[in-house]
Amino acid sequence: MLNILLKKIIKTGAGRFRYILAMVGLTVALLLILAAVQLQSNYWQLLHGNNAQDSIANFLVINKVVTNQNAGNTNLSEQDIQDLKQQPFIQGVGVVTPSRFKVAASGGSAMPFYTDMFFESVPDQFLDITGADWKWDDHSQFIPIVIPNQFLDMYNFGFAKSQNLPQLSHELVRSIPIRIDIQTPAGQKSFYAKVAGFSDRISSILVPQAFMEWANEHFATEPPKGASRVIIRTDDPSNPKLIQYLDSHQLATDLEKTRFSKYRQIVGFVVQISGFTGLAMFLFALLIFSLFIELTIASCREEIGLLVTLGASPRQLRKFLMKTFYPANMVIALIVLVILSILQWLLSGLLSHESMVVSPFISLYTIAGAVIVLVILWWVHVRTIRRQISGTR
Amino acid sequence: MEITLKNIIPVPLKENLEKRPSEVWHNEISFSPAKKVKIKAPSGTGKTTLVHFLYGLRSDYTGQLSWDGKPLQGLDSDKVAGYRQKQISIVFQDLRLFAHLTARENIELNRVLQEPYYPTGVIEDMAAELQVDHILHQEAGICSYGEQQRIAIIRALVQPFSLLVMDEPFSHLDQENTKKAAALIERECEKRSAGFVLTDLDEDSFFNYNTYLNL
Repeated sequence: MLNILLKKIIKTGAGRFRYILAMVGLTVALLLILAAVQLQSNYWQLLHGNNAQDSIANFLVINKVVTNQNAGNTNLSEQDIQDLKQQPFIQGVGVVTPSRFKVAASGGSAMPFYTDMFFESVPDQFLDITGADWKWDDHSQFIPIVIPNQFLDMYNFGFAKSQNLPQLSHELVRSIPIRIDIQTPAGQKSFYAKVAGFSDRISSILVPQAFMEWANEHFATEPPKGASRVIIRTDDPSNPKLIQYLDSHQLATDLEKTRFSKYRQIVGFVVQISGFTGLAMFLFALLIFSLFIELTIASCREEIGLLVTLGASPRQLRKFLMKTFYPANMVIALIVLVILSILQWLLSGLLSHESMVVSPFISLYTIAGAVIVLVILWWVHVRTIRRQISGTR
Repeated sequence: MEITLKNIIPVPLKENLEKRPSEVWHNEISFSPAKKVKIKAPSGTGKTTLVHFLYGLRSDYTGQLSWDGKPLQGLDSDKVAGYRQKQISIVFQDLRLFAHLTARENIELNRVLQEPYYPTGVIEDMAAELQVDHILHQEAGICSYGEQQRIAIIRALVQPFSLLVMDEPFSHLDQENTKKAAALIERECEKRSAGFVLTDLDEDSFFNYNTYLNL
C-alpha cells in the first residue's frame, strides 16, 4: 500500500523518453561488453581445449629461412639460441643434434626397402614418448627411432599403392626390425632399430639423445656442425609476439601450427572494438540514469519534503526509489544473457560443422561480467539516490 | 516521549522576544504524555515557529531543545523519522495535505508509513464521526478548508503517538464540528495515554487542559 501511494506522489513521468533511450543504450552496451567476454572465452576454449592438435602445437621446430645468400650456412649461433631462451613466450629450447655419419636402412622381406638416411635427436623432454621404449645404452638390442607420420602416410597411400605392396599399420611398423648400416671410419657397422613412435611434430627421424652422442663420438666422419634446427616449447603457439619474433629474425617454422595467430589477432581486434564501444555506451547509460534519478527527485522535491515531514524515513524513500529504478537493469541483464545464450548455441552448432568445439552454453566469465555490471549499476543507483535524498529535508 | 526546552529563542524574533515576558521563550519547560498543554499566543509571537521547533522542522533557535533528553539537532534523519512515525503526531495550521491524492489516500499514507496502529476501516469510522466520509474519495486539493482540516486531524490520529502537537486545529471549523473533533482527539489521546500541545490565539474550553502557557 505504501508503495502504491509513494508511486502516486513521486511521479517518474518526467523524461520518460530519455529514460527508455538510456535503457536501450544499456542493452546494446551490455550486449557488446558481454559478447566481447564471451568471444574471448570461446577463443581461449578453442586454443586450450583438449583437442589432439594442441599438444603438437605446443612444440615448434625452428630453423633459419634458406635464401640464396645464406644457403649452406643456416646454422643458429649460440647467441641466437640464448636469445630464443630469453623470450617470455618460449618455455624451453632444445638443440636438434644431427648425425655426423652416413646411415642406410633396409627393411628385410616384410618391408622391402633400402634407403640412405640421416638421424637427428632432441632432448627427451621435447618428446612425449617416455619409458622403456625410448631407452638406449650400448647393451640395447634395438635402437628406438621415431619417424614422422607423414612417412608412413606417403608409403601407405603413395608408394605401396603404386607398387602393389601391402599397406602397413602403426602396430605392424612397430613390430618390424629395421636394419641400420652405419659407415664408420673402420668400415660398415650394423644395428637393428625398432620404430618406437610416430611424430607429427618433427619432420625428421629421431633417435635417443644417448645413442646420438655415443654414435657421433665413435663413428663421426665429419667435425661437429653446430645446430641448424632447434625445437622450442611454447604455451601459446598462436601468440602474435612469437610470430613477430620469428619473422624479424628470419626464422621459420611450420606455418600450420601457427595459423591461429592470424585468427587471434582478428579475434583480439573484434573483442577490443566491441568491448570499448560497449564500455563507452555503458558509461553514458550510467550518466543518463543518474541524471534521470536526479531529475525525478528534483521534480518531486516538495512532495518528498512533505513525506519526510510526515515521518517517512530517508531509508524508506531510498528503498522505494531503488525498487522503482533498479529492477529494469536486472531485466535488461537477463535479456542480454538470454540473447547471448541463443547466439552461443547457434555459434556452437555452426562451428561444430568446422570441427571446432566450443561449449553450447555461455561461459561463467560472461555471467560474472553481467553480475559485475549489475553491481556497478547498483552502486551508482544507491549513491545517486542517497545523495539526492540526503539533500531533502 | 518528552520534549524539553531550555532557553529557546528563535533567531529571527530574538530582538522582539527578549523584551517581552513569555512563559515559553527563554524559559525551561517540558511537554510530556502526562500534560495537556494550551499555549495562548497572539499573532506574531512565534506560535507556528514554536510548533515547527517542537516537531523538528526548523532549528534556527538558540538554546537547547531535546527529545527524550537527546538534543534534537544531534539526531539523524532516520531517528527523527522513527519518532514522527511512533511518538509524535501533528496537525499543521497550513494542513499540508497532498493536493492530488484523495482524502482517503492522504490519511492512509500516514497509517501505513509505520506498522499500522489501526486497521484501514478506522478511517471510515473517524470520517463518519467528523462528517467527512462523503468526500474521502475526492482529491484533497478540491476539498474545502473545513474538510481539509478534518482530514488533517484524522490523518494525525491514525498513527501511534505519545504526544500530539496541534497548531490552531479548529480554525476553519464551526462550533459543532469543533466539539466533535475535540471529542475524537480527547478519546484518541486517552486511548494511547498520550499528552498534547495545542496552540491558539484565544482562550478556549475545547479540552480539560492541565497546563496553560502564554507565549
